[in-house]
Amino acid sequence: MDCREFLEQHLSFVDDTLPGVELVRMQMHLGECEHCGRHDATIRRSLMLFRNLPRIEPSPDFSKRLEMKLREAKLADAAAASSNRSRKFAAGVTLTSAVMLGYIGISLRQVDSPQDIVLPPVVAIATISDSPSAGPAPEMIAAVSAGLPIWTAAVFAEQTSAHFASIELASSAR
Amino acid sequence: MGIIARKHAVQQQGASVRDQLRAMDDSGVVTAFLGGEERAFSELVDRYQTRLLNFIYRTIGDREKAEDLVQEVFIRVYRHLHRFDRSKKFSTWAYTIASNLAKNELRNRSRNPLVLFQTVQKNWQEDDRPLQFEDSTSRPDDMYRKRHLREIVEESVAKLPEHHRNVFILRELEGKSYEEIAEITDCNLGTVKSRLNRARNSFAEIVAPYMD
Repeated sequence: MDCREFLEQHLSFVDDTLPGVELVRMQMHLGECEHCGRHDATIRRSLMLFRNLPRIEPSPDFSKRLEMKLREAKLADAAAASSNRSRKFAAGVTLTSAVMLGYIGISLRQVDSPQDIVLPPVVAIATISDSPSAGPAPEMIAAVSAGLPIWTAAVFAEQTSAHFASIELASSAR
Repeated sequence: MGIIARKHAVQQQGASVRDQLRAMDDSGVVTAFLGGEERAFSELVDRYQTRLLNFIYRTIGDREKAEDLVQEVFIRVYRHLHRFDRSKKFSTWAYTIASNLAKNELRNRSRNPLVLFQTVQKNWQEDDRPLQFEDSTSRPDDMYRKRHLREIVEESVAKLPEHHRNVFILRELEGKSYEEIAEITDCNLGTVKSRLNRARNSFAEIVAPYMD
């Protein structure tokens, strides 16, 4: 073993974590090399000095101060939790309100918007008569020319529409 | 009479719970605390306050601040113990918190150059440092020499670079394994070994002239 290898393994040598064979090689080198022997002694002695430094103890009021700080921390945590809860509640209320307002808005929009009125389809039934009339009923012509009041004409008009349909259908059938 | 007997019984029960907690390992105490046993936290404080105080004190060199930081460690432990991964060692977790707080303190201090490690440490040493390093039966000149040597040792640790000092204290003062140090300092094993080796060599180099 050379000095470089010795120094590389010195950490494990001091901490006694080297495998048996390596440990023996290190010890052999230590016996042979004065320089490495001095290095080893210096390290060990300095570490001993450091390890023997006096341990300091917590001051007498340490526990009391810690207790107070813990109490404060608990109170702060409780306050934070409660404010968190109320914040969640407020958020819930806001969300619900928003959903409700949205729903109301949509409903109102649907009521306000003009829509096309869809009516059921008109079914016209036409009967083909044997003797179709080619114009207004003779009674109407007679009434108009005779200067009858208008309401009577309206009564006739009710009948004329049917007659017009009949005329058209009749002519197309032919 | 009945009230006194009940009080006595409650006291005895409390004492036996504390005894039980004292007999448990860290993992058991943590489990007890998470199970609602508040006294388990005091047990953890008893076990770690001195160790963490010494670790932080040796890292930052300010006793008062070290106490504040140890208190902060315990507050964080109290708040976050439910999130602690119980497959790991509690001590490693506690030391990780302490190490991070000490690191932050040093970082803050480096931004404020008025507070220096040695200055703070010396201020405290003048007043109330314990004198265990010396033997009261020693001769005055011997006591002086020993006290001086202790100051040299403390100053030498303070002179180490921060990441070397941290690893050095964890190993030499707290007796942590390389693996634990790697976890606490968030480094790989190789880095820990190399830092520790360098720290030992630098420390020995500084202290050597005063040892003979």
